[in-house]
Order: sequence, then C-alpha cells, then structure tokens
Amino acid sequence: MKLPNFLTETRLNWFGLIARLTLGGVIFVAGALKVTTPYKSAAAMRAYELLPISVANFFGYVLPWFEVGLGALLILGVSTRFSAFFAGSLMIVFIFAISSAWVRGLSIDCGCFGGGGQVAPGETKYLQEIVRDFGIALLGVYLYRRPHTKWALEPGSR
Amino acid sequence: MVNNKGKSSGDPITRWLVIGMVALVVVVGAGISIFNNTSKKSAVIPSAASVKDGYGIVFNGDLTPVIDIWEDFQCPSCKAFEGTNGDALKALAVEKKAKVVFHPLSFLGPESVYAANGAACAADQGKFLEYHSFMYANQPAENSGAWSNEGVIATAAAAGITGAEFEACVNKGKYADWVGNVGSEGSKQNINSTPTVFINGKEIDRASGAYYSAPEFMKLLVAAGIK
Repeated sequence: MKLPNFLTETRLNWFGLIARLTLGGVIFVAGALKVTTPYKSAAAMRAYELLPISVANFFGYVLPWFEVGLGALLILGVSTRFSAFFAGSLMIVFIFAISSAWVRGLSIDCGCFGGGGQVAPGETKYLQEIVRDFGIALLGVYLYRRPHTKWALEPGSR
Repeated sequence: MVNNKGKSSGDPITRWLVIGMVALVVVVGAGISIFNNTSKKSAVIPSAASVKDGYGIVFNGDLTPVIDIWEDFQCPSCKAFEGTNGDALKALAVEKKAKVVFHPLSFLGPESVYAANGAACAADQGKFLEYHSFMYANQPAENSGAWSNEGVIATAAAAGITGAEFEACVNKGKYADWVGNVGSEGSKQNINSTPTVFINGKEIDRASGAYYSAPEFMKLLVAAGIK
C-alpha cells in the first residue's frame, strides 16, 4: 500500500500510540470500575434480558476482569493486533446489545463504566452509547490493520 | 504493509511473560468474583434470617401479606425509599400486621458489605429496625471510607446499639458470607436495581410512583389486605 506523503511511518506510529492508549485506557478503566462491584456488574448484564440469568451472572462477573486484561495488553503494547481484534469485537457486541435494548423498548443504562440496570424511561442514552462504542471500535479496526506503534513493549506487535 | 523495516519483532520472552501475567490476573480475578458471588453453605446465618426467604431478615414469618425489600445501605434511592415508606414498613413489622423481609444487598461494593454485616449483628441484638433507620438517616457518600467496621460501630453506637458482642460481630465480619449469600440469591431472583420491593411476590411497578410516595405505597398495602 502506497501511503500519501504526509502519512509518514513516524506519524502513523505516533497516531497508533494515541489509538492504542485511548482504546486500551477506555477498556481498562471500564473494567477496573466494575471489578469491585461484581453484583452490580451482573445486574447490569441481566438488565439487557438477552441471556439466561445464570449465564448473564457469569459474564457479569468475568467481563470486567477480561476488560482489565485486554486494556492492560493494549496499554503495554503487547500483542496489539490480537488485543485490538478482541477489543473491536467486544465493542461490536456492545453495540448490538445496546441497540437491541433500544429496539425492545427497555429503559436501561448500558452499565459500560459501572452503574447499569433500569433507569427512568427519559434517562436512556442509547444513541450516545452507540456512537461512543462505534468510535472506540474504529480505533480497534485501525490497530488491527496497523498494529505497529510508538513505545510498545513489543515493537512488531502481532 | 511493512512496519518493522527489518527490526526484530520484539522479544518473545517479554511477550509471553506479559501475556502470561495478564492472563493470570484475569483468571484469578474472575475466579474470585465468581467464588465470592456463589452461595456458601458454610456461611454463618443470623438467627433472624431465613434461608427459604432468600436469606433475608424476617419479621413475623407466619403472617401474610409478605413484603420483600431488596436494598443497599449505601444506595441513595434506598435512603429516599426509607425516608418515604420506612416508618410504615417498620410499623407493619412491630405491630405484626405483615411478614416483612429485608434483603440487604451489596451492589455498591465493600462498604455495603460492612453495613449489611452490621445489620445482621444488630439483628442478633434485636435492634435491626433501629439500625436500619439510623444507618439510612446517616448515609455517607458512596464508598467514602466512612463505613469501615469502626464507622459502622460508631454509627450504631449513636443509635444506641452497643456492646462487646455487637462490636466483635462487626469486627470479625461474622456475617460477611451471609451477605454474599443474600446477594447471590438476589442475582438468582433477577434483582437488577435497588430498592426493589415485592408485595406478595409481585414487584412494585416503578412507574406507579409508590417507591417515593407514601400515599401510593399505602394504597398498595391496603390492596394487599392491610388495614
């Protein structure tokens, strides 16, 4: 692929760093805010009414830790391509889940950064949540396509 | 796409070391979360609580109607509910007009566990209702550090709940596992927010306004057969 002149390797590497830290930082913080309140996390998962209760509880307990791990790998810059793939996929799953809650007329908070569960019908923020997750997913796509970034622990990130 | 320009593609030992450590943290952390939220048969249950009522603290076990309250001592909406309807509920419990079951959850983290453990300790002293009202009336900001064990003891003391037995119970976290069991039961019963109140097994509709309106709440109680 021939790059336009202003997109030098160096500049792209710096952009990659920003993408990596943003994507990793958001996911890490989202997970870290939830690991101390597993009940609430499980309740947020159940509130989507997509999974059987016991399965939703399981993912409610596990997902925050998974996010912490994924975020850490991205922040450190280890196996960036692989991590970016999972991070992007996770965002797409979230977008589907939130859209589905919206379409079914549920009134819930996405519970992305803690919180979650039912809210008053006027207080849903589905559109903002979807747009945000879409933006984050794009960073994942970028890093999947071009995982090489500045200051990564593993320079030729796979 | 050539990104490396001949550079080595990183030290594989570092790569796997980091991946290994991160994976370990994730697996151990997730394991602990699952373990902590699994009901434990070994948990010490306060004598006022009943396993078949979802481990809740029960008043007037043989009466009907039955009112179940799922709450969290740290939750501001629960404080609002208590402020609106707490006295009515307490009257039902004291005047033996209904079966009232309190389920103290720990949605909001560690300080909710301390507060709920303290509630069970207060129940042992026959002071659950006093503790319940006073803790809500003096609810601090969420996880601000105010409700450590010392904080719970100090708050309870101001409500007149004192004694070596109570303090030892709080400090030991005697009922911490029981708090876990209440939460686990709440998860199974799909309690997604606090407060959630059931009258005769029927969840009060949030749109009804009964949570934060005493007359609306009273209407529901009357409809359930309470004079």
